[in-house]
Amino acid sequence: MYSYEALPVAEWFRRNRELAGFHNSTRALYQTIRELVENSLDATETYGILPTIFLRVAVEDEQKSWVSVYAEDNGIGIPGNEIPNVFGRVFYSSKYRIKQHRGVFGLGLKMVVLYAQSTTNKPVLVRSATLKSDKIYEYQIMIDTNANSPIILDRREYPNKYRWHGTAVKVVLEGNWLGAKKRIEDYLRRTAIIAPYAEIVFKGPDMDLWLKRRTTKLPPAPKEGLPHPKSVDVDTIKQMLLDSRGMTLLEFLTENFDAVGEGTAKAFLEWAGFNPNAKATALTPEELVRLVEKMKQYEGWRRPRADWLSPVGGELLEIGAKAILGAEAVFAVTRKPESYGGHPFIVEAAVAWGGQIPPSDKPLLLRYANKIPLLYDEGADVARKVVDEFHWDNYKVKFPAPLAVIIHVCSTKIPYASAGKEAIAEVAEIEKEMRLALRDAAKKLRLYLSRKEKEMELFNKYITFAKYVDEIAHNLSVITRLEKSIIAQNLHKLIEKKLGTTVDELVKHTLSLTSASQQEEVTEAMAQ
Amino acid sequence: MSSRSEFLERLEKWGYNLTKAVLELEEPVMEIPARTLSNTIWDEKAKMLKLGPEKMHRRFLDMKEARRFMQTVLMLRLIVEAIREDVYPTIRDLYYNGKHTIVFKDPLGRAHRENTWDEQDESNAVIEDIEVATNVLREEMGVSADVKGKIVGPIVVRSQGYELDASKFGETALSLPVNVDALEIVKVEAAYVLVVEKDAIFQRLVREKFWSQENAILVTAKGMPDRATRRFIRRLNEEYKLPVYVLTDGDPYGWYIYSVYKSGSIKLSYESERLATPEAKFLGLTATDIDAYKISDNYVIAATDRDVKRAQELLRYPWFQKSEWTKEINLFLKKKKKVEIEALSTHGLKFLHDYLRDKIRNKKFID
Repeated sequence: MYSYEALPVAEWFRRNRELAGFHNSTRALYQTIRELVENSLDATETYGILPTIFLRVAVEDEQKSWVSVYAEDNGIGIPGNEIPNVFGRVFYSSKYRIKQHRGVFGLGLKMVVLYAQSTTNKPVLVRSATLKSDKIYEYQIMIDTNANSPIILDRREYPNKYRWHGTAVKVVLEGNWLGAKKRIEDYLRRTAIIAPYAEIVFKGPDMDLWLKRRTTKLPPAPKEGLPHPKSVDVDTIKQMLLDSRGMTLLEFLTENFDAVGEGTAKAFLEWAGFNPNAKATALTPEELVRLVEKMKQYEGWRRPRADWLSPVGGELLEIGAKAILGAEAVFAVTRKPESYGGHPFIVEAAVAWGGQIPPSDKPLLLRYANKIPLLYDEGADVARKVVDEFHWDNYKVKFPAPLAVIIHVCSTKIPYASAGKEAIAEVAEIEKEMRLALRDAAKKLRLYLSRKEKEMELFNKYITFAKYVDEIAHNLSVITRLEKSIIAQNLHKLIEKKLGTTVDELVKHTLSLTSASQQEEVTEAMAQ
Repeated sequence: MSSRSEFLERLEKWGYNLTKAVLELEEPVMEIPARTLSNTIWDEKAKMLKLGPEKMHRRFLDMKEARRFMQTVLMLRLIVEAIREDVYPTIRDLYYNGKHTIVFKDPLGRAHRENTWDEQDESNAVIEDIEVATNVLREEMGVSADVKGKIVGPIVVRSQGYELDASKFGETALSLPVNVDALEIVKVEAAYVLVVEKDAIFQRLVREKFWSQENAILVTAKGMPDRATRRFIRRLNEEYKLPVYVLTDGDPYGWYIYSVYKSGSIKLSYESERLATPEAKFLGLTATDIDAYKISDNYVIAATDRDVKRAQELLRYPWFQKSEWTKEINLFLKKKKKVEIEALSTHGLKFLHDYLRDKIRNKKFID
């Protein structure tokens, strides 16, 4: 990506527009919402702030299909002097560090500004205040696409009386609201599943959505770290070398990579046939390519660390899936970290059962990459393959079933199957972890289903006996002229003795296990 | 003979024992002699079916038995009440009296609806269960069933003070009452009793005055005989030593009907001693008759799979295991052909008379 720096931004935008998901006015509107929401989440949860995000889409000019998108968060904000560069200069980014992000170096945000500008020629309005700032800054910015620099149309400062912090952005762009509406709703709901600690309010021309915060527990924030030697490519090495003037190769390796000490670096350089004391910047392009190749091949590195990953965790997945899907039960699993090609990754899976999930012939699949819902290209996603090939019949699931599967992959580098970044590629290591995660979650589901089956059986048994108690007590009472109520009471006691549980216990269990869809079955079974 | 109040006591006692168990927090269990084939004993000497010693236990707390348990208790109450109120219901009355919908609201607030019974077969079955369990017969309870039986012939009976001469019914017949034991037989001048399976043949023989020519009593119960008809035939045989001959269709169902008159039935084996007529002889039709009486192919019907299956069952019943019967049944299984009584018209309508006389005079019957 850094190699594009020489290109004028206009050209870069033209080339990348489709890659970034701005194909047409439907995708562009959806993508705009996505970029803004993801920036807001990154600006909040990563810093221990419970996200509150307000979104509004309004029709600005129906004829031209111009819409405005407004997004406001309660994040850490952007320092006033940085705002023009963050919104108005492409490739404005700090030192190369890795950690799990939603967005990629804020590039998406600039795509939003560029797309808006290219379709409506309107500036982006940004208002922001950092934590404890006594001022709120407001800018109207456009990008000079030839010079790659911000044009500031307006700049204001307000006193921050109430110590507000966060960022508010408003863009006007050509967008197809009716076309994007369903996707936007899906996207927001699915975001709420994986981020149940966020409060998201959406107002659209004919759709209001209020996704309430379901928990105040945040996942642990990812740490920021150095890359693993296996994970870098030639371009990245070049970028790193810019900051490494005067370093020897040995120093370069120990300074810039994770878990590479002197001993490891020496052993590697000896194995690869490089002089540890050679100046790093003196490497010829050929040598550089060879170095990267050797770094990828070398088996002596320590395993990549997973500290920079931020899995959601089973508890949050369960809360989210129960709240948004209305599932009766959710079973989630977070696998141990694994790696592919030097990139650490963690797979999480959850199976959600019953409740408001409509029964269907195959499981509803919700895919996530680094907490971002993936909505398009499901067929190309390895997760779909894993779910379809899964032997559900081994886990007491018979289709049609009210079943949803959530698969989340978090990694410092998600291997996407296509440029649109909407599907995860078939990487053997990831596929295997998905399979194991699904198996672990499905095992829990099986346990639940068989327990439920037993409880239902017991309850049905209870009804088989209990429904006759009144009739029997009445008749025996007429025959013997003894008190009916005592006979009935004792018959009930006998049933409880037989079942080995009290009716109250039974009802408590059955209630906790019975879903709306199951209830019909029960009534039908009773009628026979 | 015991009075109805003594039977009432026995029924009440049975109900009390069940209730006593409940009050002592023990599962109520009904002990009922099993009315099954395996518990039907063929008493070679008495030549009748008797109830074996096998008992089944109907438990309230058994998923498969709970409903029947409820039905049995319900029926017991209906019978006890009928006796207390001094009324004489039919089994159909009891079916209707007891039929209602149980509505049970479970603790989850859902309603479950179920009929106490749907078919009369269900209520009839528990009446029989109560009979065997308490050793009180339905007749003793004062519970009656439809009586299909009718008679014609040289016999005079007295019913509720009226003398009825069964030879003076013209083309109609005297219907047997529910309680044939209460029927006083005033005079009998018959030579034998002819039991005819089918009503149509019975009517023909009445119209053709076969009975007066033969001085015989004609009886029919229109198919499978009811208890009253069987009891009446038994009385004629036992009290007046009249030979009893049975005429049925020439198929396994007809043959089984004959065996019911003679030996009793599996379901009511506990009643055989009152109802069976071990001296009854089978006239026909037999499988051999088809050739012996040269019945034309036009009157011969191919046996169905069901007929064959029934025949195989008969072969396994001990009371059919005598050479004459195994020969007939095996012949039937071999030829897979059956004939109705009407097939005797193969030689003209009057041939039925000749056939019957030939069988009776020349003792061409099966005992």
